[in-house]
Amino acid sequence: MHDVKRRYVIPGDKIAEGNFRPLMNVVKSGSTLTATRIGIAETGRDGVKVIPLSGVYIPRVNDLVIGKIVDHSSLSWEVDINSCFSAHLPAQDVFGRDFTPARDDMSKHFAIGDMITARIMAFDRTRDPMLTVQDRDLGKIERGELLMISATRVPRLIGKRGSMIQMIEQATQTRVLIGQNGIVVVTGRNPEGIKLAVRAIKMVEEEAHTANLTQRIKVLLNVPDTPPQQEVSRAPVGTGSDKPQEIESTIDEVEEELEVEGEK
Amino acid sequence: MSSSRRATIIVEHLRKQQMWDALAKGKRLDGRDFDDQRPLEIEPDVIKKANGSARVKLGHSEVIAGVKISTGEPFEGLENKGALIVSAEVLPVASPHAEPGPPDEEVVELARVVDRGVRESEMIDLDKLVLVPGKIVYTTFVDCSVVNTDGNLFDTTSYAVVTALLSARLPVLEMQGDKVVDTGETREMPVTAIPVSITAARIGDYVLIDPAAEEEACMDARITITTNEEGFCAIQKGYTGSFSADQIKKAAKTARIKGEEVRAKLKEFTAR
Amino acid sequence: MTQTRNLIDENGKRTDGRTADELREVKITVGTVRNADGSAFIEFGKNKIVAAVYGPREVHPKHMALPDRCVLRCRYHMSPFSTDTRKSPAPSRREIEISKVMREALEPALMLEDYPRAAIDVYVEVLQSDGGSRCAGIDAASVALADAGINMRDLVAACAAGKVDEQIVLDINDTEDKEGGADMPVAYMPRLDQVTLLQLDGKLSQEQFDECIDKAITGCKMVYEIQRQALIQKYFGNETELKEEAAPQ
Repeated sequence: MHDVKRRYVIPGDKIAEGNFRPLMNVVKSGSTLTATRIGIAETGRDGVKVIPLSGVYIPRVNDLVIGKIVDHSSLSWEVDINSCFSAHLPAQDVFGRDFTPARDDMSKHFAIGDMITARIMAFDRTRDPMLTVQDRDLGKIERGELLMISATRVPRLIGKRGSMIQMIEQATQTRVLIGQNGIVVVTGRNPEGIKLAVRAIKMVEEEAHTANLTQRIKVLLNVPDTPPQQEVSRAPVGTGSDKPQEIESTIDEVEEELEVEGEK
Repeated sequence: MSSSRRATIIVEHLRKQQMWDALAKGKRLDGRDFDDQRPLEIEPDVIKKANGSARVKLGHSEVIAGVKISTGEPFEGLENKGALIVSAEVLPVASPHAEPGPPDEEVVELARVVDRGVRESEMIDLDKLVLVPGKIVYTTFVDCSVVNTDGNLFDTTSYAVVTALLSARLPVLEMQGDKVVDTGETREMPVTAIPVSITAARIGDYVLIDPAAEEEACMDARITITTNEEGFCAIQKGYTGSFSADQIKKAAKTARIKGEEVRAKLKEFTAR
Repeated sequence: MTQTRNLIDENGKRTDGRTADELREVKITVGTVRNADGSAFIEFGKNKIVAAVYGPREVHPKHMALPDRCVLRCRYHMSPFSTDTRKSPAPSRREIEISKVMREALEPALMLEDYPRAAIDVYVEVLQSDGGSRCAGIDAASVALADAGINMRDLVAACAAGKVDEQIVLDINDTEDKEGGADMPVAYMPRLDQVTLLQLDGKLSQEQFDECIDKAITGCKMVYEIQRQALIQKYFGNETELKEEAAPQ
């Protein structure tokens, strides 16, 4: 019988006892597994983890993030990614290897205050995160409504294989860019649609840990209950179809409950 | 020595665009009109140990003011008046940019502008706070702790100070020989006026009152205008840009009108 | 500290009407400072204290960063209007010492090695003080740290016990602090059963000492339940109990 047991925990709460692997936000001492953060503890056959409900964004290699240019030296731009570290975008990444430092070139390309979508190329315990914009759909964000949500709620906002965010986009006729760091940009032609999308996103953020959320979002968006649609083959930009394995399985498990609740 | 410094808040280009779009339509990012204040929450008597206190929230800016009354020597040159000192500290609790340490020039300016508003409006009749002329007077300290910053600390702090003073209980002291003795009774502070400060910011050609943090980060200049029931009593222009004389006159008129509205709210907290 | 008058009457009632084992009323609200990463407001008897946590975040100046772990900085400070007589805003030696013992009380619970080259700043501001403010400050700081999502081995709960009229009592108030025989603040990690702060001010015999530390730990456990409820209330709404749910795989 493979049950996934779930419960709310605070730091120090004992989650399980026995031969389980500590996966995420859990410490193992002897045979006791304890939570280290506030969140939803899940005990499954893979091991024990806590899906956190609060916390500053900690950068991960390969994450798609949305950042703000705050400064530049002659060799790189300094980018605020709303994390505990400032990120750097090397000038070489944009101008190529034979780039020669010339201050004007830098600020003409990305000025202070510009928002960019970027990917974290490198990050470890010894240095600040390094970004790249060399990829399809990365680079300066020209327009849109800016929101900030807790990074811990991003998986829920994206949904299983993008299901939650796609539902919001389709219902409001908008396009939503989501950074793993919790920065979200909503674009669209219709201001009413944008407002509704923002409301839906805020609702997901506040109620990410509750049951029946998908249903309530559907009600907010006036989406009828229909038979399952074909999965859209294109994942919206920034929804990270290339996320690390761990998060994918987290989403699976969080979404598991929704499927049972009759999302169909 | 005062020097220019790097901006602590850099407003995103996207937000600035949205702000300009809204301003062109006569609105601000949070939907307010140019002459609207954010919601104002006032709670008196939050620190029971103090002689008077108030917690004020203007939008998300939050300040707690506490009044402590004791006795001491009068200020030099003001031998027949009670002493009144307003101080402020932006607690490191209040913002990711606030650091512990002695107040910097911005916080010193904040305290002095609020103090000037209270003093020049003659809110408290300091002549009534003397025990032995030239030697012993009531000393009223009003200390402000800023708990959360979201723009316009001038007005938030001023309203907290005014409410704390209005609702304060003054310990009735008397001289027995050359000793100061507390009779155990209390009464209201001798209040003769209620100063109200209204701060406005200029962004391009638009002048908006009660700027939120994002608006302050985009502003060119700022002006704080304090009025009492009779007229203007204290003004401070701040920040690195300028105003036209017309903009100032218009702002002054708005400050007087808005001031009346706020005065009516503050008046309700007068101690009985 | 030698007592000069009776602080407990013939019915066993203390100056504020409590019995020897009663804790003052404690209320904790989580998330009161909007700008902070984590925060809590505590009312512990007449103490009113706000705690805010910023972090993990960049260390300024950069050379203060540690390569293998996070820097933890704590500041305990009293607002000038918080005490009976107005206090100057400049940090006193007492505040400096309390900032240090507070940091050392919280550090064992935090997994600082998870955040190398970063800093966690804990700011505790006493808005009204009434005996036991350092314990109340630690209680609020601990909740604020959990609210900020910092990895913690356990919460830290703090409470003081003391000697009054030769009796050991729980959670001494301001008068008992000033006029009583001994004051022992304790901070404790309840799940790990570990003491992280212990100070003594006064005279205790061996027996009194043992009783005092036991009583303080009992007080810590009582405060822990309140800390836990406050966090659950904010994060899980009206679920006042741990919810057990089994979902099919």
